[in-house]
Amino acid sequence: MIGKSGYRFSEKIMLKQKDGAGWRFNKKPFRSSARPFGPVNPQQPYLRTFAAPAMLCAFGLVAALAAVLQFSLRAYVPGSLDPGGFTLANFSDLLRPLYARVFLDTVMICFLTAVSTLIVGYPLAYALVRSQNAIVKSILLVIVVTPLFLGEVVRTYSWIIVLGNNGFINSLLLNLGIIRQPLQFMFTTFGVVVALVHVTMPVMVIMLAAALSHIDRDYQRAAESLGAGPIRVFLTVTLPLSMPGVVAGVTTAFAWTFSAFATPQLIGGGRVNMISNLVYQLGFASFNFPFAASLCVTGLALTIVVLSMLRLASRRLETIEPH
Amino acid sequence: MKRFLLAIFALAIAVPAQAQDKLVVSIWGGSWRDLVAETVARKFTAETGVPVEFITGGTIDRLNKEKLAKGNPESDITFTTSHVGWLYANDGLFEALDLSKIPNAGNLADEARISPFHLGAWAYVYTIGYRADLLGNMKFDSWSDLWKPELKGKIAGPDFDPSHIIAVSAILSGSDAAHWEKGQDKLKALKPNFKAFYTNDANSQQLLASGETPVQIVLSMNAYYMIGQGVPITLVIPKEGAVLGVDTVAVMKGSKKADLACKFINALYDPEIQAEIAKLKKGSPAVLNAKIDPEIAKLPGVFTTAAQWKQQINIDARLRAEKTAEWRKWFAENIMN
Repeated sequence: MIGKSGYRFSEKIMLKQKDGAGWRFNKKPFRSSARPFGPVNPQQPYLRTFAAPAMLCAFGLVAALAAVLQFSLRAYVPGSLDPGGFTLANFSDLLRPLYARVFLDTVMICFLTAVSTLIVGYPLAYALVRSQNAIVKSILLVIVVTPLFLGEVVRTYSWIIVLGNNGFINSLLLNLGIIRQPLQFMFTTFGVVVALVHVTMPVMVIMLAAALSHIDRDYQRAAESLGAGPIRVFLTVTLPLSMPGVVAGVTTAFAWTFSAFATPQLIGGGRVNMISNLVYQLGFASFNFPFAASLCVTGLALTIVVLSMLRLASRRLETIEPH
Repeated sequence: MKRFLLAIFALAIAVPAQAQDKLVVSIWGGSWRDLVAETVARKFTAETGVPVEFITGGTIDRLNKEKLAKGNPESDITFTTSHVGWLYANDGLFEALDLSKIPNAGNLADEARISPFHLGAWAYVYTIGYRADLLGNMKFDSWSDLWKPELKGKIAGPDFDPSHIIAVSAILSGSDAAHWEKGQDKLKALKPNFKAFYTNDANSQQLLASGETPVQIVLSMNAYYMIGQGVPITLVIPKEGAVLGVDTVAVMKGSKKADLACKFINALYDPEIQAEIAKLKKGSPAVLNAKIDPEIAKLPGVFTTAAQWKQQINIDARLRAEKTAEWRKWFAENIMN
């Protein structure tokens, strides 16, 4: 993580911690020393051998993507598995209102999920890192980690039980007399986002917890000794220093949600669709593989564009230093 | 050491020999695999001494695998839906069937003779299933009852295949599935009544069992499964007929055990096996000479006579294979969104 002055926060903190006696800032600009495919480093003679399997995987991935790209440029032939000649029609079809809307909906759902996950996950990560009580810490860890051990489908089905017309929330509200008719959570964007937040939360909390645990407590103590209250300490010291984690968490949550399939498929009930659902419907239910491939290619391009924009926008946030 | 090497050598010879003496069947997993394993496969092995091995997977997964293995198939026999079978056949993945080697096929219903390459194994219908306990006195005598305004936001249908309701809308508009465009306006008028679209049988079960969508265009076998689980579903055959579905069986082109495969298919059409399948899955036998338990025979979607087969809405499988993408696209653009 490069600061605005070209130095890494983590390096600053590490140096301070080692130094112990006082502040000492590293003035050497950060440069990567990793040269995995350059001249063989005599100290790491097996690097190439170890990197070979990864290269093979990368090659396989690129070959598969090339096949998908090739399919996206071929015509669909009804009743046949083989695609026809080369065409751009699949991409021009994507401009139709339905598909344009699904792309917009996907970006919106990803954005809402990432932000909501951050809002829900930050206090949890903070409590996880800062809690002194081992029992509380364990309980929080279980809350955070348990969802990772359940498949996305299981988690989504549990949300169907919670959000359904006869589900937990509606039953509770009806029994308390707060509502007369069940509220519609299922088959709505709200329902999909709620379930996706649960699916994404462990990743966000783990990333935030990692960032928060690297913040030197002396910064906060220094602020407190200068008279800052807890809220001010949080807003001016903790939050800015955890920005790299926030940015990493939001970016990952966004990308993670972009490929969500089971949750929008089951909670959305065909009413709320994301790109992956359309790919499934077109490829696996309609056998229109060329059009499904064009959706994949465009979805991938959109992910790269959105994440690049997010990265650009977040660069300023990452450079924030404690005030 | 010598003994150990000898044992390894014997094993090396024995394993390929054993691998050749089995019939490989490709089918969906779960209860479908069990159904075939417990009925036809058991009979086939008892008669021939040849064990049956199953390759299981989703419809499209198996189709893609066989396409990649064209000429040297992974399986000797494939079970798939009739219209998907046409995709196999059009791609040259199925062997033309020699019916002289499958004498029991002489009893097949006409509607189960899908193509020279694939034949019906059993049948079912997509029809109206509803929760009478949640809908008061509502009755469904005709498909047109689905259009009642009081059903606003209460219906679910399959998201993977809109062919059933597209064909029904065309018929209600005085046309047929081949000229489905004439039913487009009729189908658009049904849009407010759709609440959701289910992805698979489990999703359909969840929506009906929870009452989330008390009316469904539902697979008969799935409805009977739910009824068996205690969900109070009423299944009806509308006066226009239910939409017929046929799962088919075929021999893979390039199979080195084509004769054994034909014996397997002949065992499938044994009247007793067909009756057992009907009993286990509450589906219709593909042959007309199966002796069905009267309690099973009276269920909607189980046909024992040629006349009953003909009363159903039968969308030509080849037309479905060619039109599915177009129908699905139109349905997604105009009804689902």
